[in-house]
Amino acid sequence: MEGDRRVKPAPFEYAAPRSLEEALGLLGEEAKPLAGGQSLVPLLNFRLARPELLVDINGLSELARIRRGDDGVLRIGALTRQSELERSELVAAEWPLLTQAVRLVGHPQIRNRGTVGGSVAHADPAAEVPVALAALGARFVARSPRGGRTLCAGDLFVGPLMTALEPDELLVEIEVPPVPEEAGCAFVEHARTAGDFAIAGAAAVVVPARHAAIALLGAGPVPVRASDAEGALVAGAEPREAAALAASHIGKGPRRALVAELVRRALEEAAR
Amino acid sequence: MTSEVGSPAGGRLVGRPLPRREDARVLGGHSEFLDDLHPAGLAHLAFVRSPYAHARVLSVTPPRGAPGLLAVLTARELEGRTRPLPIQSPEGSEVADEPHPLLAAGEVRYVGQPVAAVVAESRALAEDAAELVGVEYEELDPVADPHASDLELLRWRRTAGDVEGAFRSAARVAGGRYAMPRLVAAPMEARGALAYHDPAADLLTVWCSAQDTHRPLRHLGHVLGRPAEQLRVVVPDVGGAFGSKGSLAPEAAVAAIAAIDVGRPVKWAEDRAENFVAAYQGRGMEAEVELALAADGRMLAVRARILADLGAYLLPATAMPPHTAAMLMAGCYTIPAADVRVSGVRTNKVPTGPYRGAGRPEAAYFLERAVDDAARALALDPVELRRRNLIREFPHRSPLGWTYDSGDYRRCLDLALDLAGPRRAHSDEGLVGRGVAMYVERAGGSFEAARATLEPDGRVIVRSSTSPHGQGHDMTFAQIAAERLHVDPGDVVLEFGDSALVPGGTGTFASRSVAMGGSAVARAVDELGKQCVQTAARLLDAPEDEITWGEEGLAAGDGRTLALPDVAAAGPLEATARFESDLVFGSGAYAAEVEIERATGRLTVRRLTAVDDAGTIVNPLLAEGQVLGGAVQGLGECLAEEATYDDQAQPTSASFADYSLLTAAEIPPIAAEFVESPSPLNPLGAKGIGEAGAIGTPAAVANAVSDALGGRHVDPPFTEEKLWRAIGE
Repeated sequence: MEGDRRVKPAPFEYAAPRSLEEALGLLGEEAKPLAGGQSLVPLLNFRLARPELLVDINGLSELARIRRGDDGVLRIGALTRQSELERSELVAAEWPLLTQAVRLVGHPQIRNRGTVGGSVAHADPAAEVPVALAALGARFVARSPRGGRTLCAGDLFVGPLMTALEPDELLVEIEVPPVPEEAGCAFVEHARTAGDFAIAGAAAVVVPARHAAIALLGAGPVPVRASDAEGALVAGAEPREAAALAASHIGKGPRRALVAELVRRALEEAAR
Repeated sequence: MTSEVGSPAGGRLVGRPLPRREDARVLGGHSEFLDDLHPAGLAHLAFVRSPYAHARVLSVTPPRGAPGLLAVLTARELEGRTRPLPIQSPEGSEVADEPHPLLAAGEVRYVGQPVAAVVAESRALAEDAAELVGVEYEELDPVADPHASDLELLRWRRTAGDVEGAFRSAARVAGGRYAMPRLVAAPMEARGALAYHDPAADLLTVWCSAQDTHRPLRHLGHVLGRPAEQLRVVVPDVGGAFGSKGSLAPEAAVAAIAAIDVGRPVKWAEDRAENFVAAYQGRGMEAEVELALAADGRMLAVRARILADLGAYLLPATAMPPHTAAMLMAGCYTIPAADVRVSGVRTNKVPTGPYRGAGRPEAAYFLERAVDDAARALALDPVELRRRNLIREFPHRSPLGWTYDSGDYRRCLDLALDLAGPRRAHSDEGLVGRGVAMYVERAGGSFEAARATLEPDGRVIVRSSTSPHGQGHDMTFAQIAAERLHVDPGDVVLEFGDSALVPGGTGTFASRSVAMGGSAVARAVDELGKQCVQTAARLLDAPEDEITWGEEGLAAGDGRTLALPDVAAAGPLEATARFESDLVFGSGAYAAEVEIERATGRLTVRRLTAVDDAGTIVNPLLAEGQVLGGAVQGLGECLAEEATYDDQAQPTSASFADYSLLTAAEIPPIAAEFVESPSPLNPLGAKGIGEAGAIGTPAAVANAVSDALGGRHVDPPFTEEKLWRAIGE
């Protein structure tokens, strides 16, 4: 009954497609895919997001799988709940950086609903999962009625809350290559309170003298790879030195100090 | 009837840590909050709010029609039918005639100010229709910075003793400028009201998420020009208030008008987005404080200039917190002379008002920071400086005019230091600091009332004028009543929150429920007890002075007994009591240990010690809960909370994405103990405990932060950015 309608958003149409093809046919300029809704629903309630059509993809169970292919690549369906990723034994054993990062996303209730793909496609500059994926060299598979394409983090994330995905494109899967053997990894962040948006953070994957990947949260509008620090580390730099280098692109001030400290901690933790 | 606690009749109940009997209902999800009320025919209200901090309103055009739209109210519809909210002016103050209009007429002065109200069949449809209301604005220059304001809304000054002489003869003058930011009360349940007008009886009933029934009743009467007999205010379960539901919301008055106009029940259930911009905020004060000190550390005089960022209008209680802060600027010290001024200025922000502590945390922060700065200037230990100046004799009349009824400040300080443990040194990673702060606070005052009735089944119904919103009145008052009537607490039923049922009172605020409401309950049940004895004496044909209370009820000297239902059967027994007293003054000593991470400036509060003297404690479990809750809000103020605005006075912290409340993970171990110096002013010896934690905590943490920084001063919130910069200085 209309009188009992308790939703807060501006009026919208709602569709719950049964297949990926059907969903792709519905997406477009005035439509928004609804997955876990942990970012979209507040935006709708604030009436900041006002799509004409919500395409509820929660029924597309084929997008909710985590598996490792014969090629050793981890494939995370975009609709995988963050809590599924958090609890995955496969991920904890082989890609522990993801387990560490996803634990820092909001609170358990949020992770029970929120999806890994949603974290990526929403592209919040304070989000942990995109930063961890950037450090792991992940690739992002998008589909549209026009076909499919695969992007790397550097191409996908273009600005705060902005990705290179077209309005009719849906992020369907995330491919994470195997982590080098003997790699240590760590994700550390600073947030004002537990579960709050991070102010800054650092993800590190390190094999002494062979491999270093450092991605930064809060050092720019998108996840940033600290390539010069990575190079220095492989060449034998101390964590403190590499950390200072990683933060050197940030203007002098408290944020630079914070990022440098978090990178140092991540590198030392990864080396343990 | 027996209660779970199984108290023996006649046993002591006051002073026992009994768990709240209201918890089963609340924790079981059986509470009934305002938004749980769905009377038949309910219509919903949504507001069109100003997006500008300051603008002329050129026109407001309602939509021609919208789905489910029932009515649109603007200032024009209210003209001639309403008055703005009343303004309470503190003793000795000058306040401007700048009341808050219900709906903006001609001008908007803050972002979020209600401009028009839309009534529709559902909240969603009301919001949809609200978007269709056309408002033409002409932007004006806003004032965001209180220092840049040239309009005083509140002025107050009090001078006592030879201040000039004291400063002239002082060996040292020390102090500084200290500021507390504006804060959002952020109760879990936002504000709201549901109004229904019965045309036959011309009775307007307003269910209101409020701290009590009396103030909404009084404010509605004023705004609507309606006699109290034609008004009924009901306060359902309330999900927190912290001071922010003490005055009638302008929106609630509009809901009442809307209900009269559409002839249906109308509900306004505030959402979080509205609460952030439109509910009055707390604090927003700064002070320049100077202490005149003798060479031995004696405080000779205090001088303080308090600047309060009051916002755009004076709500009923906007002027009160700065006055309370000013009146407490002598703290718990024997300072013979004082000169304190308040200037409350207009800015283009939502008005401020009482928020947990309401001037007391500000006073404690201003003065206790100044005391630490003075100790540094004198090269004295800050604890020793305090010790040399503590008030030791009561009653004590402060130079500012309040009389402190009782206390043992030295014992509070000693106990806090014992509990705080040894100091720790700096480490390679962190700067460690220890801070101590003391406070004295006003509580109680004015009057409350209670009515106690002996029911035919022998139970006692107590109707209290104060009203709970999370504190635990039900259990606490049952303890008071049952002990005095020698009955089981399970046989005492408390009723609150309906102006048609409860006797008139002042309200639930300023940590006054036990001291005032509890004392009224004590007086009422004492009188009822007397009536019971008289009745029993008559029925048993025994002298009154032989009647005693026992397990079975009342007994005569020869052992014959009468159960309470037998007493009740002899006729209705009922007693009403009104209890009035001067202010009572609680006090306390707090200690905090903090560590600031050198690399990042991140602050960690390692340990907090709270020693409070709230007079007699009725229920130590609930009192400790109040201290912990207040301390957590105080810690939030230190670590994270600040209502911010840009230079155009646009709010920049208007959601929980930008305004952080602490979680359990940030709370350090808190040691809380009580000292009990009974108040001589009420039958319970009680003072107030509801705000204590919020008063002592920020001052102690601020002193600890300054100690860690080698004496540098930083104002809360102590963000890593501010502290990182302070370390670098």
